[in-house]
Amino acid sequence: MRYLLLILLNIPVVSLALLNIITQHKMGRTPKKRFNRQLLLWVVILTLLIGSFPLYNLLVNRPPLDSTDLSAFDIVEITVIIFLIYSNNDQRRKTEQTERRLNDLHQELSIQLSNDK
Amino acid sequence: MVEKKFCVVIPAYNEASVIKGVVRSARKVFSSFKYPVDIVVIDDGSRDNTSTEAMAGGARVIRHILNSGAGGATATGLSYAMQYGYTGAATMDADGQHDPQDVLRGITEISTGNIDLLIGSRLIDSSGMSRVKVLGNWGLSLITFILFGVKSTDSQSGMRIYSRKALEQLRWKTSGYEFCSEMIWRASQLGLTICEYPIQAIYTDYSKSKGQNNWNAVNILKSLVKRRVMEAFE
Repeated sequence: MRYLLLILLNIPVVSLALLNIITQHKMGRTPKKRFNRQLLLWVVILTLLIGSFPLYNLLVNRPPLDSTDLSAFDIVEITVIIFLIYSNNDQRRKTEQTERRLNDLHQELSIQLSNDK
Repeated sequence: MVEKKFCVVIPAYNEASVIKGVVRSARKVFSSFKYPVDIVVIDDGSRDNTSTEAMAGGARVIRHILNSGAGGATATGLSYAMQYGYTGAATMDADGQHDPQDVLRGITEISTGNIDLLIGSRLIDSSGMSRVKVLGNWGLSLITFILFGVKSTDSQSGMRIYSRKALEQLRWKTSGYEFCSEMIWRASQLGLTICEYPIQAIYTDYSKSKGQNNWNAVNILKSLVKRRVMEAFE
């Protein structure tokens, strides 16, 4: 039940991330290499989420990790981490875009003002 | 048939005391070339009379509103060259470190049409360079190779010649001196033909005083590692 909860809480974020990167790529806003890397990242996260039940079973009370059962705290922690990865990725993309536009604007403005003199 | 013409970009920051002389001596050398060569000084937000002095020397001047760093100033100059239809462009330092004859040799080489990015290397013949500078530049070239897989004897050289194809395609993200390494990496990613040729470094008391602090190599290294790591997550 807890594993199902973990998956249900995180599926929306992972789905949104995948939808974003596919849309960006289809609209020509993301180069293929970046698309491939981002796709790999989120597919790995999705696989680990879906495989969390067998993964925990493998690690519970076994060396070297001696993991305990999935707790409520673990669920919250993992959900927050995945959300932060998504948010950080998105913010970084926007920051880079803004920086690029600002640099281009500064360049063009400098050239135009020099032309006007 | 469109006549070939070339643009020499000189990024400058607080070089009022030498820029007029640098521009005049460059104009004298370039006047003998078979194609027209225009000189454009990019004043990167200087606090002295760099712009006025550069214009007095006969250069066209583009003045940055904000100080953007060597990478930013170079990007503006090459963008100008691309927009105004130049066949190729070159960059050289504003402090008199570069011999305009070396720039002309590079432009002559690029005008044959086979090379996209030609880097003037001070380390092919490093006589005249101090050991510290040789070691520092060699170290940064090694780091450029380790991080980006691109071989270069002088990855930090400011004398570079660009073909039209390079002007149209080459872009980079860093704005400080680390752009020198990033540019070579981006050129390699784009499949541009990169070559080197030997140049002389002219060290005067002025250029030595204006030159990079060796500790800046730490900042360059940090920025390059960060850029490389970020690329893996993009």
